[in-house]
Amino acid sequence: MAPYPFSSRKNRIDWLLLGAMAGLTLLGALCIMSAVNAVSLSNPVVRTHLIALPLGFAVFFAAWSFNYQIFDEQWKPLYGVILTLLIGVLLFGTYQRGSKSWFVLPFFSMQPAEICRVLTILVAAAFLDRQGRRIRDMRTLVLLGGLIVPIFGLIMLQPDFSSIVITFPALLVLLYCAGVNIFYLGLVFAFAAVAGFFTVAWTYLYLHPSLLDYALLDVFYKLASSPLYMAGFSLLVALAGYAAWWFFKQLRIFLPSFYFVLATLVVLAGFFAGVFVDHQMKPYQRKRVEAFLAPQSDPQGASYNVLQAQIAMGSGGILGKGLFSGTQSQLGFVPEKHTDFILAVVGEELGLWGTLLVLGLYLLILWRVAVVAYLASDRYGYLVCSGIFGMFLTYMLINFGMLIGLFPVAGIPLPFISYGGSNLVSSMFALGVVQSVYARRITLG
Amino acid sequence: MAAVKVSFNNRLRSLLVLALIAGVVVALRLTDIQLLRHDRYLKMAERNRTQVLYQTAPRGRIFTADGKAVASNAPSFDLYYLSAGPKDEEYFSRLAQDFAPRLGMDKEKVLKKLRQGAKSGKAVALAENLSPNSVMALKELQLYYPGVYVIEENKRVYPYGIFASHLIGYLGSMEGDEWKNRDLSLDYRLDAKIGKNGLEKKFEKDLKGRDGGVFLEVDYRGRVKRVIEDRKWQPGSDLYLTLNYAVQQAAEEGLKNSKTGRGAAVALDPRTGAVLALATAPAFEPGMFVPYSDEPQPKSKRISEYNLAVQGIYPPASTFKIITSIAAIEKGGFNAEKTVFCPGYYDAGSRVFKCWGVHQDDNFFEAMADSCDVYFYTLAAQIGPAAIEKTQQMFQFGKPTGIDLPGEKAGNLYGPTKRARNRSYWFIGDTLNLSIGQGELLVTPIKMAQFAAAVASRGKIWRPYYLDRLVNSQTGKVLQQGQSELLGTVDIKNSTWDLIFKALKKTVEGGTAARVWIKGLDVYGKTGTAQNPHGDDHGWFMAFAARPGEEPSLAVAVFVEFGKGGSSAAGPIAREMIKAYFGIQDTSAPRAVRASAQEEQPAQRLPAAPPEEIVSHMQDLQNVLFSTVQRQEDR
Repeated sequence: MAPYPFSSRKNRIDWLLLGAMAGLTLLGALCIMSAVNAVSLSNPVVRTHLIALPLGFAVFFAAWSFNYQIFDEQWKPLYGVILTLLIGVLLFGTYQRGSKSWFVLPFFSMQPAEICRVLTILVAAAFLDRQGRRIRDMRTLVLLGGLIVPIFGLIMLQPDFSSIVITFPALLVLLYCAGVNIFYLGLVFAFAAVAGFFTVAWTYLYLHPSLLDYALLDVFYKLASSPLYMAGFSLLVALAGYAAWWFFKQLRIFLPSFYFVLATLVVLAGFFAGVFVDHQMKPYQRKRVEAFLAPQSDPQGASYNVLQAQIAMGSGGILGKGLFSGTQSQLGFVPEKHTDFILAVVGEELGLWGTLLVLGLYLLILWRVAVVAYLASDRYGYLVCSGIFGMFLTYMLINFGMLIGLFPVAGIPLPFISYGGSNLVSSMFALGVVQSVYARRITLG
Repeated sequence: MAAVKVSFNNRLRSLLVLALIAGVVVALRLTDIQLLRHDRYLKMAERNRTQVLYQTAPRGRIFTADGKAVASNAPSFDLYYLSAGPKDEEYFSRLAQDFAPRLGMDKEKVLKKLRQGAKSGKAVALAENLSPNSVMALKELQLYYPGVYVIEENKRVYPYGIFASHLIGYLGSMEGDEWKNRDLSLDYRLDAKIGKNGLEKKFEKDLKGRDGGVFLEVDYRGRVKRVIEDRKWQPGSDLYLTLNYAVQQAAEEGLKNSKTGRGAAVALDPRTGAVLALATAPAFEPGMFVPYSDEPQPKSKRISEYNLAVQGIYPPASTFKIITSIAAIEKGGFNAEKTVFCPGYYDAGSRVFKCWGVHQDDNFFEAMADSCDVYFYTLAAQIGPAAIEKTQQMFQFGKPTGIDLPGEKAGNLYGPTKRARNRSYWFIGDTLNLSIGQGELLVTPIKMAQFAAAVASRGKIWRPYYLDRLVNSQTGKVLQQGQSELLGTVDIKNSTWDLIFKALKKTVEGGTAARVWIKGLDVYGKTGTAQNPHGDDHGWFMAFAARPGEEPSLAVAVFVEFGKGGSSAAGPIAREMIKAYFGIQDTSAPRAVRASAQEEQPAQRLPAAPPEEIVSHMQDLQNVLFSTVQRQEDR
């Protein structure tokens, strides 16, 4: 990648990246104040956000001044921190909106899952960095899986799906950039697809009990309900794998039996992950899946939210209705307007320019993170930037995709714009790490 | 430090390219939503945030020519409190103190409602259906108390009940897709009532007016934030008809009290074609749909939308003898004094056609007065059917009158030309049937009235019109003016008219229509009794009248379904209509009836002769006129 156009050896900070981040946080602060219709500190939302903002900048500069390589060296204690935080929140956390994901401290509360997301990327990058040439081996993936599964399991116990929804794609991007064999990556992807398929199919049946009149669907639905069925299904999959192997042998097509074992294992792993997710799902989350699958079925329910958000954006037009004057957001038609649907507020009050500005700043961040990744002085820096790139890419796609109807409503905030201290601080921490990589790059010449 | 650049793979670069492509897709979609679909979404957003307390505009009124409002409005008032106004207890207490006595309510009750409104944040009705008397005071008070609104709704009323119901029509809820077809500028609400029939339907967009309302900004829970606009309604335009209240009333009364209570009566002004009365019985109560219920009406309450006056077609019967006479007189060589002997039947050679009585020697005037069939059989046999058909066409039989009402029937022309067009034969029996207006000839009551007006005006065929003017009720500007329109003239000799007038006058003064005679008026008329193979015969009566020495100013046609006799069933109704028009209270008994013209009976029951039978007797026929059209026209 071309060197930074106006770079000099003295450039210790990527000003474009910092500028994009600052621009987004400024825009975010304005939109949050508008969304809750308050500019004074007496409003808890405004107060929290205005406290979190300097905190976030402090963390950002701390991470920047810190040598990121320390995360590479100390990845094991870091992993311990993640597990401690996640176990701690399950033991001492507080329930908010049905999930046990909050530490309530005397002056503020925090969501450990947010910071764990960034830490997981740092740990996974450190682990992959150590694998060297073995990166293409199956063993690497299995071992990494061994590291990640406890983290995901603990997050699922809260449960906090949105955290998984962001972290999993980010890790996939990290694995891809680390140079993992595409075939194995495909297996991981297949695993996610199988798990997703079972979850969605069961959710659909759960919401349409009349379909259970069909015996096959009924059996399929019961697969998730008792260990006996699960064992039966596992046996069936194993037999199918064996039968496939035997069949190919009869056809004189000789494939390594290893592949068949692998396929069987992936299907089974996906199945059990699906069962786990299904057990953790809440009715409102099922509704969201339904709203995405068939938006017309329930205009006043879950898809109502997306519709109202789209009305807000569409009614904003090019220039928007102005801050504090969007009827859709000010009168409460847009739900979760200062968190998950903040983009709708941007769209309504600042118009197309506002949404395009946010999109542009996000693309700018992605571009700079990718540039920094290639400038990194070591492989660990490259991997960390890749993972963070994956994280922000996922955030961007899901947030915009949700508003334009490409993704189901997942309850995922838009970093730097949405209200949410933990998310803001950890996102700024992530960019601080990227700046640290940039500051410690090797400049040629 | 040795600068050794570690090289990395290109995978992140490819992902960056993918991210940029995704960014472009998102940007395009954002442009689509925010730029291209902006208008639609803006409308949806506006609809989201506004709630309207509608004030239904008064619908345009419908007046008769003499100024009676036959369709009008009844306002009803509701008093609302919107929590967008002040909410303190002191204000409420003052408000309740002032309003409670005027609403006839307990102060505590008013206070309770106010508090309830303030708590829920929604608009609450403090009182509904207030009397118009108390409203003036409340409207004044409203100025001193922000948050209080008097909401006026207007409901359609028909002060004269069933009066002209088929013409006026009625209102009903919009069904199915109807609201889509409505004029958008008129702001039809889904629960709006629209004209379903008659003038209410035809002039819907003029009568509608524009609803007003208090437009409120509400949040997603319906809590009132502020009042955006308090818009006054605009009333619809008023419709002035040519209808004469007294004549219409007399027609409806008469039909209602007739033998069967089924029929139609039409009165026209023969000088202009203006409709003075257009009545169909049984009538319906147009207001019965106005109680604004959305439940389907029970079957018994369903009304007959069938407007017999313009949609019912029947043989004109003996009234048609006027046409036969005109055809004969115009043909030349006609001697009104020449008598024809009526032995009570007419020998057509193969078959005998009966008369309804035995009239001995009747000249033209006597034959018309007695409605002697044999006389007209003889005339018809002499002049041939083509002449009669031609005269029919001059009077535009078989064509609609062109009155501006939906579903008007054209009726049916009857004659050899028409028959030949249908590739069928014409027989002597047809000629005889035609001469007395029986058979395939069919007319509507409005057509009969147009015919009566044509005779009365000595040949002017008017398009009947009922709209005098459509007036903007606020500015008084005339939006549409009714026009008299001449469709054609019957060009025959004045002497012919004289003969016809004399004969028709004689019919009333001492003939079959004697019971219609009115002292001090020149009344001309002709009865008719249409054979009905399915039941009792139908009664017809057509007449026109004039003050002595003036030209006729009223033409009427009355039809009573299954009324048996034209004179007994339809005649009295016409008489009442004429009396109502000329303002004659005199009830002196109708003139004595000639012995030979007591009550006209249907001429005869014609057996539907199978063609074979007729063909076998064809050689025997004396005055055979079974030629095809070509031959008829060759003559």
